[in-house]
Amino acid sequence: MTCSPFDLKDYLFGELNAEEKGAVERHLSSCAVCQDEVAALDATRSAILCMREEEPPRRIAFVSDKVFEPRWWQKLFSSGPQLGFASAAMLALAIIFHAAYVPAAAPALPAAQLDQAAIQAEVSKRVAVAVEKAAVEIEARQAEKLMQVVNARLAQSDRRYEMDLRTVADVLERMNKRTANVRRTAFEGGADLQ
Amino acid sequence: MIFREVEDRDLIAQARRDNVEAFNLLVSRWEKRIFNYLLRLVKNREDAQDLAQDVFVKAHQNLRKLEDPSRFAPWLYRIAHNEAYSMLRKNRPETDLDDAQQEPWLEPGPTRRMLPIEVSLAVERALKRLSKEQREAVILKVYQGFKFEEMSQILGCPVSTVKSRLYTALDLLKDTLTSVEMRGKE
Repeated sequence: MTCSPFDLKDYLFGELNAEEKGAVERHLSSCAVCQDEVAALDATRSAILCMREEEPPRRIAFVSDKVFEPRWWQKLFSSGPQLGFASAAMLALAIIFHAAYVPAAAPALPAAQLDQAAIQAEVSKRVAVAVEKAAVEIEARQAEKLMQVVNARLAQSDRRYEMDLRTVADVLERMNKRTANVRRTAFEGGADLQ
Repeated sequence: MIFREVEDRDLIAQARRDNVEAFNLLVSRWEKRIFNYLLRLVKNREDAQDLAQDVFVKAHQNLRKLEDPSRFAPWLYRIAHNEAYSMLRKNRPETDLDDAQQEPWLEPGPTRRMLPIEVSLAVERALKRLSKEQREAVILKVYQGFKFEEMSQILGCPVSTVKSRLYTALDLLKDTLTSVEMRGKE
């Protein structure tokens, strides 16, 4: 129990109105016992906040339910590399279609037609290879970038966590020393009286 | 915090229109916090994982019943609280005592500076000494940052009861953490 006009925990959690808060703060300015109590409560709160959050063992598996899976066209339009690949494939098809069905300016000899068919086949093959290669490269670059960002954030989070814990450890050490001093003083005072 | 609330409100509106991606994003935002809240209550990772899955299934099924999307957080935690207590009642119906509460108090001894990791472990150990109601009050107020009125909704009890549990728990934690020592580890 403290001598504060209002509950110090209400003060700590912002439950007092302006007038009550002012009364507590005026009291704290001249009462070391209540100051220590507020410091101890605040250190306790800080220590609780320093508890690290644990990672769940597995992600919550919600999309595995087929009823909730996105449709094929939703999946396609939500993925950049896939969309790029699809666009390139459509362009390739358009080129091939145009090459295959554009009417010839003059009757072609059978030999020329054979050459054209071979050329078209070669073009289709090269386009397919190039598009697939481009999609793989894009995905790899995106994955690398994501890992860099994640690693940087993790390192920053670890540093902050370490600093917070050191601050709390310092406060608790000071409180321990004060408690030990109070006990020693009380013991010596009792011995003197005997 | 305001920015996050606006985004959650948009996601909830879309999820209500059967947008699965929107609900998946909500899940990915809240699953770690819900998991850790449940873990502190049931103290078992697999149980907490299973409960978390159940919580989000129920949330998806009942999302249209949420009248005010800005109250999504306390509403979700209310589901989590109910799921946790259902499990606790099934597994251990009678006693509130935790194993840690049976340990004797550590006698004060030579003190030394605590390492940061020891502080974190001391806090976790001190929390286990509390009753589950007190532990839950501490987690919701201090760790998750809910207001007393929101906690009253989550826990289904008056604000005065919530405060009483929390303040008693804080006194116990304060005494435990200021007197804890690590003997023989100099």
